[in-house]
Amino acid sequence: MTTASPRRAAKPAASSKPRRAKSNRLAPYFFTTPAIVLYIVFTVIPVAYAIWLSLRAYRVTGGALGRKQDVFVWFENYLAVLQDETFLAGFGRLLIYGVIAIPLTLGLALLFALLLDAPAVRAKRFSRTAIFIPYAVPGVVAALLWGFMYLPSTSPFSYLTKAAGLGSIPFLEESGIFGSLANIAIWGGVGFNMIIIYTSLRGIPADIYESARLDGANELQIAWRIKIPLVAPALVLTGFFSLIGTIQLYSEPATLRPMTSTISAGWVPLMAIYRDAFGTDNLPQAAAASTLLAVGTVLVSALVLRLVNRRRNGMES
Amino acid sequence: MRTHRPLAAAVAGLAIIGVAGLAGCSGSDASSDGPVQLEYWAWASNSQDVVDQWNKENPDIQVKYTDAGGGTDSSAKLLTANRAGNAPDVALVEYTTLPAMIVADVPTDITEYVGDVEDAFTEGTWAQTTFGGVVYGIPQDVGPMANVYRADRFEELGVTPPTTWAEFRTAAEAVKAADPATVIAALPPAEFGFWAGVSTQAGGQWWSSEGDEWTVGIADEPSLEVADFFQALVEDGLVSTDPLLTPEYNAALNNGTMLSWPSAVWAPSVIENVAADTSGGWAMAPLPQWTEGDAAVPYQGGSALVVTTSSDHPEEAAKFAKWLNASEAGNELMINTQSLYPAAIVGQEMTERNDPPALMPQQTDFYAVAAEISADTIPVTWGPNVNLARTVFADELQKAIDNGTPWRDAFIATQKAVIDDMVKSGFTVTND
Amino acid sequence: MTSTMTRSIVLGDEKNRSARSRRASERSRQGGWGVLPTIVLIVGAIYCLIPVAWVFTAATKSRSELFTTFTFAPGSGLWENLVEVFTYEDGQYLLWCLNSLLYSGVASVLSVFVSAMAGFALAKYSFRGRNAIFFGFLVGILIPGIVLAVPQYLLMSTVGLTGTQWSVLLPSIVSPFGIYLCRVYAMSAVPQETLEAARIDGAGEWRIFRMIVLPLMVPGMVTVFLLHFIGTWNNFLLPYIMLSDQDLYPLTVGLFTLLSKGSGSPALYSVAITGAAISIIPLVALVLSLQRYWRLDLVSGGIKG
Repeated sequence: MTTASPRRAAKPAASSKPRRAKSNRLAPYFFTTPAIVLYIVFTVIPVAYAIWLSLRAYRVTGGALGRKQDVFVWFENYLAVLQDETFLAGFGRLLIYGVIAIPLTLGLALLFALLLDAPAVRAKRFSRTAIFIPYAVPGVVAALLWGFMYLPSTSPFSYLTKAAGLGSIPFLEESGIFGSLANIAIWGGVGFNMIIIYTSLRGIPADIYESARLDGANELQIAWRIKIPLVAPALVLTGFFSLIGTIQLYSEPATLRPMTSTISAGWVPLMAIYRDAFGTDNLPQAAAASTLLAVGTVLVSALVLRLVNRRRNGMES
Repeated sequence: MRTHRPLAAAVAGLAIIGVAGLAGCSGSDASSDGPVQLEYWAWASNSQDVVDQWNKENPDIQVKYTDAGGGTDSSAKLLTANRAGNAPDVALVEYTTLPAMIVADVPTDITEYVGDVEDAFTEGTWAQTTFGGVVYGIPQDVGPMANVYRADRFEELGVTPPTTWAEFRTAAEAVKAADPATVIAALPPAEFGFWAGVSTQAGGQWWSSEGDEWTVGIADEPSLEVADFFQALVEDGLVSTDPLLTPEYNAALNNGTMLSWPSAVWAPSVIENVAADTSGGWAMAPLPQWTEGDAAVPYQGGSALVVTTSSDHPEEAAKFAKWLNASEAGNELMINTQSLYPAAIVGQEMTERNDPPALMPQQTDFYAVAAEISADTIPVTWGPNVNLARTVFADELQKAIDNGTPWRDAFIATQKAVIDDMVKSGFTVTND
Repeated sequence: MTSTMTRSIVLGDEKNRSARSRRASERSRQGGWGVLPTIVLIVGAIYCLIPVAWVFTAATKSRSELFTTFTFAPGSGLWENLVEVFTYEDGQYLLWCLNSLLYSGVASVLSVFVSAMAGFALAKYSFRGRNAIFFGFLVGILIPGIVLAVPQYLLMSTVGLTGTQWSVLLPSIVSPFGIYLCRVYAMSAVPQETLEAARIDGAGEWRIFRMIVLPLMVPGMVTVFLLHFIGTWNNFLLPYIMLSDQDLYPLTVGLFTLLSKGSGSPALYSVAITGAAISIIPLVALVLSLQRYWRLDLVSGGIKG
């Protein structure tokens, strides 16, 4: 017997069924079977295969152009990855990128959601739709668009600063590259996160504000003291997605790479993995690096979730 | 209240159709009668037109063409597909990646099928696809290195087009003095083919093999001297190192602040595609030489057709490849519909009857010059890990440029990485 | 908990006041911010629209204007560009659009049903292994696509499906995130009492699912459909690996190949930009038309409860 979750209201004794048809017990298994089968075939097995592959390597036998053979090398690939400076440097860059992208995405999403929820603000429908539209643009296309926006000779922003005598903005130079990349992700992600927070805001019963307003609180205080704490779960969720998106950063730097010399071939971990898998035909090493990345992601996620739950439980008790 | 029955029925119907379709679509050429079906992967423009012509003339061997994407993309797909046994019968492979393909067992030995076309190519060209006496491919197009430059702007600024690299430096200085906003060329680290080319031109040998052993010479004396020379140019602000063919670069091409592209004879059509309005102002001349009076240059770019080990019909596949690359009809299509510079001698002779490329209609001897350049080429041996060398070299050289450290170190670091990788993979390298 | 009667009385009072006085009191509560909030919102909106405006403007530029004229100045080449896009390789662009529709549409429809069934089961039944199964699905959200791409390819080739549309469709159906969303939605939208009542009446589980649960879950399913549609529409890596025939490419891969033709052949910027501009339209239209139906609050519902 499973434990009843505290959420559910206590069942009235009269309606609990002492006798259930046999099909009821198997029903959940039938319902979950398609999902489980697809999941095993297309996620579990490929992951298992990738791990198996990471324990092997291609070695050449005989002759100047002998053929590659598949041999078992235990953890050689993992060691090589952990000792690869460029791979580790990639994580450092993710940290810098994340520090810019995550707070800004959440902050702006929260700000816009609050503004959408505030009374006496106009152009809500237009703004809400406009801010969501970037989410519908594929990553590859978005990076291409922003590439044009960043390059000095085709950028409208640099055009303005040049006209003002300030020279072009160094979007794609060392000094600006993190901000520029973060901007693409922020631009694409704010809308989606804003809607999540906004719908969470809409779920707050209005009478909670009533009492605050009767006490004389203005909108800003209401937002700060009441709304934000109440949408904390939505914020946590959007923060979590931003975190995963940061760790798996790939298409923005990869698309911008041909346009600037600032981004190297293995600039972020996933680019290095892609290069190993498809550029230098070192699939086993790419598999090892991806396994490490996936494990790291799971660990970081578990850590974040536990911290959040502990804090929330601490607050509630 | 919505009824879901029609929707559920549609989904079920879709599933049934799908399963039926699955059962129906198994292997392609299962039947023994009927024409042989071949699959062909390439990326050059208008390849479909060429294939259509073959299909018309050869009803017993029908070819299906797929554009597999540019060189690096298609080579990655080719490797993966071959491992699964799904590779096409015929595939286009760049010369630089051919050794890596051989090591991955992609091209099959076609020596027995192609003996009759060996004479259609010069020795140096044929050597690009033959290793250890085994022929792995048929050369399709080549890129004899040349200098493509804005003749009109040179004249406007009063600068003489260079014939040696020393003159190139002088010309760069003159350009800068005459118009600080203009630059003579962009030489980015990512253009591996260029750096390998000029180093080979100077006498360097980035890879060489004797018997079963390799020697890696990315940091040999001639190459290091090349590094020093270009480092000086960059540090004096005489050339740019920004990437090519970005919107930025294209804008510079269009407004005349980018004056030349030392590369190969395929450059004009690429430039024309992004800067068509500058047509008539460009010209092509032999690449500047290290020593006055020299004429030999290596190729930059170019590819060959291989028959893959996945193919069930190597003989027919070889026949198709031979037609494409060595026959008159194939070469004519290559020149006229695909704007490629053919590897075959007959093709190069044919080009001389053609009009010059759209970018330089005024240079009527374009193809004559190209043929002359092509007649004197330095053969290049590519190693089995060119892609690795390419990425390491680009990163190391970019680091050197950013930090102001000697370019020599970048070349040396690249050589070390290439050697380490080859040794790890199991190759024997003499300068380990 | 305030009774609903009290709440409506309070709100009813609000409605009784005249509209003008209500607005006046709202404005005074703003604390003197005036139109600043509106301006901030509009600036945000414009910022989000700039690149989209750019791509439509750039699509009007002919090849020679693309790199020479000011970014937002409209060009004269729209018609040529459109013609070039639709005649490229004998209309391959249209094939790409249809392929994207096929992959995203079919995969999303199937995914919605698979996720709805699984989500419902995980939410409304207690059975052995439930938590393990759910946790197993969650882990799937964390795995980057690139880890799966090549092994999936090798898997598909053992059954001989690579290069076919199935090789893109089948792996796209499973969606751990969709299952998560459906579970959250089922927990709040499907009352246990209704299920029990139906069982007492003797209805079988499948009947209950079809006739009761599915209609109740529609808003959640629309959300899952929309999110999955956008996700698969934008997916690049999977179709790129699985497909080699350009006629079967979806839009993302097709546009990408226009730009990466290798060093010898020129990149087809104009065609790619115009193609990108056209490709944004259906997705935006879909998003706008389904706006009324989606319920994104269920996304955060799982953590709240």
